[in-house]
Parts: sequence; C-alpha cells; structure tokens
Amino acid sequence: MSVSVEGLLIFAFAVALGVIVAKIVGIYIRRTLAEKIPKNELNLILKIVNVTIITVFVLFALPFVGVNPSGLIAAGGFAGLVVGFASRSVVANLVSGIFLMAERPVRIGDQIMVGDVAGFVEDIQILSTIIRTYDGLFVRIPNEKMFTSNIVNLVANPVRRFEYVIGISYKDDAKRAIEIIKRVIDDHPFALKNPEPQIFVNELGESSVNIVVRVWSPSSVWYDAKTEILWKIKVELDKAGIEIPFPQRVVWLRRGKDELGKDVSA
Amino acid sequence: MFVPIKLERKNGRLIYVRDDVRKILPECEIVVNPVEPINLPKNVTKYLEIDFPSILIKPNAVETIYLKFPVEIGVFAKHDDKIAIVDVFTFDKPKYTLYGNPKNGVVCRWFWSEVYYEIPEVDPLREGVLKLVIRNGGDWVEVGKVVLDCHAMKIYYGEFASCWAEMKILSKISAETAFIDKPIIKGMKKAIELYTTRRLIGRAFTMEWGLK
Repeated sequence: MSVSVEGLLIFAFAVALGVIVAKIVGIYIRRTLAEKIPKNELNLILKIVNVTIITVFVLFALPFVGVNPSGLIAAGGFAGLVVGFASRSVVANLVSGIFLMAERPVRIGDQIMVGDVAGFVEDIQILSTIIRTYDGLFVRIPNEKMFTSNIVNLVANPVRRFEYVIGISYKDDAKRAIEIIKRVIDDHPFALKNPEPQIFVNELGESSVNIVVRVWSPSSVWYDAKTEILWKIKVELDKAGIEIPFPQRVVWLRRGKDELGKDVSA
Repeated sequence: MFVPIKLERKNGRLIYVRDDVRKILPECEIVVNPVEPINLPKNVTKYLEIDFPSILIKPNAVETIYLKFPVEIGVFAKHDDKIAIVDVFTFDKPKYTLYGNPKNGVVCRWFWSEVYYEIPEVDPLREGVLKLVIRNGGDWVEVGKVVLDCHAMKIYYGEFASCWAEMKILSKISAETAFIDKPIIKGMKKAIELYTTRRLIGRAFTMEWGLK
C-alpha cells in the first residue's frame, strides 16, 4: 500500500476542514440554543455533533491515504472479534455511557454520591464520568461502574430536608426551646415555609430532652442553610440560658452498713 | 426611611458604598429602581408566590384585586443606553417556599398579602402593588395564592412600585398566570429589569398544584 504525499496532504486538509466545520456548526448551535436548553444538555449535543462531523470527514478522506472504509467494514468481522475480546471493558464502558446519557440519572453540575465518592459532576464522557469532589479532587469513574452502582443525586429534586437532634437539659423549659428554634427557622430565608418545618420533643434521653428539628430547603443552598441554622439555634439557645448538656450519669454514694453489719462507704 | 447608599466622587471615579459592598465606577449615570424580587439573599428561583386570604370567584366572572409584593432595589450604572448592575438590596426579610411537591414543585420567593379592592397604601421601599385580574371561565373557584414567573415581570414605578398580572383559571386546582406590560396608573415609569436578556417576556406559568 503506497501513500502519496499529495494523498497525505488531502487527508490532513480534509481532517482540518472537518475540525473547522465542526467548530463553526458548534458555534452556531451554541448561539441558537444557549438560552433555550440547559447548559449540560447543550454540551452533550455539541459533543455528539462534533464527533459526528469529524468522523464523516475522516471516513471521506481515508481513501486518499489508501484505506478503504468499506474494506474496514469487511475486515471488521474478524478484527471486531479480536478487538471485542481485547477491549471488552472499553465496550462495556461505552455502552454504559450511552445508557447513562439516555437515562440521565445525573447531569453536569449535579452533586452526586457514587460509592464512597461525593462531589460535583464535571463532565459525562462517552467512557467515563468526571467528578470533582468537595475537597477539589479529580475523580474519573468508568461509566460501567456508574451504571451498575447506586447513584445518589443530591440535587435531582428542587428541595431537600435536613434534620438535627438538639438535646436540652431536663431543668430547662422544652416549650421555650421549641419557640426559640421555631423563631430561628422562621427568620431564615431558605428554611422553606412549605413544606412546613417540624420541631418536636422526640425522646427523653439519658442526659437530655431531645428535640428533633426537620427543615426543608432549596437543594442548591441546602448545605449553607443547614450549617447556618444550626449555628443560630446554638447561639439563641445560649442567649436564652438553655443548656445543651454533656452526656452525664448521676452516681449515688451510699454510706451505712451492709447485710453482715460491716461499714460501707462507696 | 434611610437608604444606606453612599456615592463619592474621587479621582474622576465614583465610589459606591453600601454596608460591605464597595465598588468603583466610572463617571456615569446612576439609576435606582425596583427590580424583580428573586435575587436575595441569593438567586435560587425565578418564581414569586403571593399567598392571600382565600377569595371565592363566581362562575364566568372577572375579579380584579390588588395585592402587595416584596420589593428589591436595584442600583444600575448607565452610559450610552448600556446598563450594568451595581448592587441589589432589600429592606424586606426574604422567605422562600415550595409550590407543589418535593419532586416536581418549584421553589418560590414567598410573600403574604391581604386582599385589597383598590390600590393600597404601601411602604414603598419594602412593598409594591400587584394588580391581579382573575378570569374564571368555569365553575365556582377558591383562590388563595398566585405564582408568577418573575423573569417576565414588568415593574413600573412612581411613588411606589407596581405591576400588573392576569390569572386565567383552568380548573379548581390549576390556572395560568402571566404579567402584563402596562402600568397600573398612567404616568408610571418602567423600571430597568435584571432579566430582560432571557427573552421570556409574556411567558405564562401554569399553576398545576392548587390555587389555595
């Protein structure tokens, strides 16, 4: 098989042309759809269009470097078998990637948990999904693993609930503590009015009267709301002199005589 | 009420100061007007829900009521008809809610208002007046809330901020709401909007999770 310099130049020109056309079409699509569809969906469309256009140009240019695409297809039977065995995991990841894109349990920008990895979805590629963890690490998860794992999408729904258990001492007034907690929640903008927050005494614990607080918040600000409200509850309970007690045990010291008449002091 | 904005001229520049916000601006026109009340303390939604005491609407009737809505104040820099946002603040205490269910509902800025049958007196730095025209083409219906898409909100202002919206009742539990681009009183000035670029003007929102 001989490849002429002319043929190589035409191939290179065709591939470059393909890249340019893909870029122009990409810009046009971005301009047209930027405000009409979500950014993650737009990125997916751009990727598909980009790969398709470049592939078409490469297939058209292959004969100039002595490669016949139809021959590739004919040879594909045997080669496919060999490659198939060799790249089983690649194919599994590819197919999983396609299913993930179709099923869309996560989108770019979502906060998710997969196994012991939690963070933001940075990209959904054809073979893998890229996560940026909360501490800024880059994690690549093969799509096969994504597809077969339990995915928890933390922002799939518009709102989320969080819960605290706040223990106050037995000597303090639980009704007053509930009023204070309710006021703190009412004052916080992202503690949603509806669904209504719930505040109630849930348990008479060993060391404290345990008040359960359940609050709904927009998913996008859930964590901020959770930390801010807890801190404000602590500050307000402190101000009101309501004690959040340490675990404690009351020990009675007995003095006197035991059954045999001996002195006991314990 | 004291508006906590300070604007100083220094070295041919304007220094804008409000609480912790400090910005240096070039010589330009400063415009202050009411804006869509969905920005503070952080923009999480484009919807506004106003709850009010339930009113019963007769079959095939049109009812016009006035409600109060929360006001946020926008500060803009203007030069050659080009506008940049400098700051947004409010004297109101924002509160948010969910309209619908936790799976499919929408987060909304929440506000409570009484129902008025003529333009009410308002605290102009905190509240505006919403003229709501409710069109009921069906049976008796009870209405106690309205949800509006604020990306299509058209605010006009004079001595107070105002806007005009329509609510078309579709059934006992659903309605379509949309803003109308008209002042409720002649002579009111149109406010500069924060969300004009989104080209969603006139878009209706369908309230499908109840009207009270």
